[in-house]
Amino acid sequence: MARKQFRIGVMFSTTGSYSVVARSMLNGALLAFREIEEAGGISIQPVVVNPSGDLSRYRALSLELLSSGIRHVVGCYTSSSRKEVIPCFEKHDGLLWYPSHYEGFESSDNVIYTGAAPNQHVLPLVDYLASRIGSRAFCVGSNYIWAWENNRIFREALTARGGTVLAERYLSVGDTEFDQVITAILDARPNFVFNNLIGTSAYAFFRTFRAACRARGINQAAEIPVASCTLSEPELPEIGADAVDGHLSSSVYFSSLDSPENVAFIRAYAAAFPAGPVSSADAEASYIAVKLLAAALEQAGTDDARTVRAAVANQSFVAPQGEVRVDPQTFHAWLTPRIGRSAADGQFEILLEARQPIAPDPYLVQSSPRFASAMRSPLLRVV
Amino acid sequence: MSIRLLQNFKGGRALVVTKHAGSETTLETTLAKLGVATEYCEIVGGRAQIDINSLQPERDILFVDGDLEGAVAIEVDPASRLPQVPVIGLVGVEAPSRLKALVNLGATSFLRKPVHGGAVYTSLFMGINQFLLRSEMHERLQDLEARRRGRRAVLRAVILLMRENRVDEDTAYSELRRESMRARQNLELYCEELLNRRAKPPDKAGRATSITLRDGKKQAM
Repeated sequence: MARKQFRIGVMFSTTGSYSVVARSMLNGALLAFREIEEAGGISIQPVVVNPSGDLSRYRALSLELLSSGIRHVVGCYTSSSRKEVIPCFEKHDGLLWYPSHYEGFESSDNVIYTGAAPNQHVLPLVDYLASRIGSRAFCVGSNYIWAWENNRIFREALTARGGTVLAERYLSVGDTEFDQVITAILDARPNFVFNNLIGTSAYAFFRTFRAACRARGINQAAEIPVASCTLSEPELPEIGADAVDGHLSSSVYFSSLDSPENVAFIRAYAAAFPAGPVSSADAEASYIAVKLLAAALEQAGTDDARTVRAAVANQSFVAPQGEVRVDPQTFHAWLTPRIGRSAADGQFEILLEARQPIAPDPYLVQSSPRFASAMRSPLLRVV
Repeated sequence: MSIRLLQNFKGGRALVVTKHAGSETTLETTLAKLGVATEYCEIVGGRAQIDINSLQPERDILFVDGDLEGAVAIEVDPASRLPQVPVIGLVGVEAPSRLKALVNLGATSFLRKPVHGGAVYTSLFMGINQFLLRSEMHERLQDLEARRRGRRAVLRAVILLMRENRVDEDTAYSELRRESMRARQNLELYCEELLNRRAKPPDKAGRATSITLRDGKKQAM
């Protein structure tokens, strides 16, 4: 019997300011495609496109893929790009398989979310920081919806635990001028910095902040640690050896996980992509997305979006991070939260992990206060 | 003024008044993601069967299909023009008369039919928070109205103190303000009670309170 063939779109910005993570995501997806091909079930032909971090290219490329008859696209890293393309997927009734952690408060019928929802990344981080580090936070972020919303969730959760956000500062994606922000942080002397900068901005911030602290005789990692929900292994070499260690990260996957599935994944990934970048949480989420998509296609026997969506509900498999399954109500994934601390060897030491996968709660229905925090947001943001 | 915005709708109950119960499946499934259970109201003889007295504003949200003319009759406070619970209009035909009917029911937000999942959170957020905001503004308005009516008592109390204590207007006003704060009352209420205490007792002699008529009914004086 002839193998069923499907064309699947793959859309990551493998060039541009956040290309390091995006290239690891592409690698994660390609590894899954390779394993599916080798397994000999359905046959998938990936069609890879690169929007180069340009927001307008995302929509154009999505239209191009969907117009060519492709019904499924694995892709996007930033929330702004995801929000940009969702109308295309809704109009053409395609499915976007979004493989990255994000800020929640969304559940499009045309998206399958395999990355962490806010209750799986930012809330566990607030628990950790408030109970072990301190209650005074300084927030920095890239000036777009991810940082705005993740900071809002962070602020509400920290305030509910009696903590305080001393200030929030935002910079354009790709901006690397941090002198003013770092002076403000050092003047405020928070217990920690909550970082929502992405890509090259984040790497420059880690370096400049460490250097500024060192110049003032401050042991940055011990006295003002930086905590993120985005920091992953391929980004650590980008920071540089001088400032790579001691950063906290909340993630559902670290490549240092010691499980047979992860050991096999890391070995296969390294063999397939010796030039790197190394695997990351988002690379694993991309791998999961493709595996779940293939299982759903196989079960559905067609690439019709609604049939595949119905087939993916309740799909589960043992991923590198542990058991992962799709929640049939929200089409987000059950994932296992963890807190890690970066080390000089470019890996994360795992400090804490949940005992089992936890249900996604994209609207924080189970975990946010009924009323929004009464504190007024600033009318102007420093950009 | 800063209102506390409701952002988590967990435990809510959506009462949906529509002709084809269950036809708006996207509304029901999206509400479930937001922690809101959906119930459909039966329509008998063109009227939705809602026990208005059992509605709870902190739990219930009424979704009313604007294409059902006269299916819902709920009491709207004529002053605040607000119903007992937040109302969200489901709009099919955008005719002004149908939109007007929804506004008259007190709708504070709308959803176009067929319902798009991505619009439900926004509509719920706007509908409930506009309802809360308007309820709070109405309460403030009532309070301000009562105080406006009480300004006459303040004026009279100032004059009374000026005459009794032979002080100027500012001193009399400051004295009243200080005493009202000490009594933990607003100025208007304090002045009203002060004037009542100082008022001469009615002269009972020679005054009848009412005239008794032969058939036992009373006539107001």
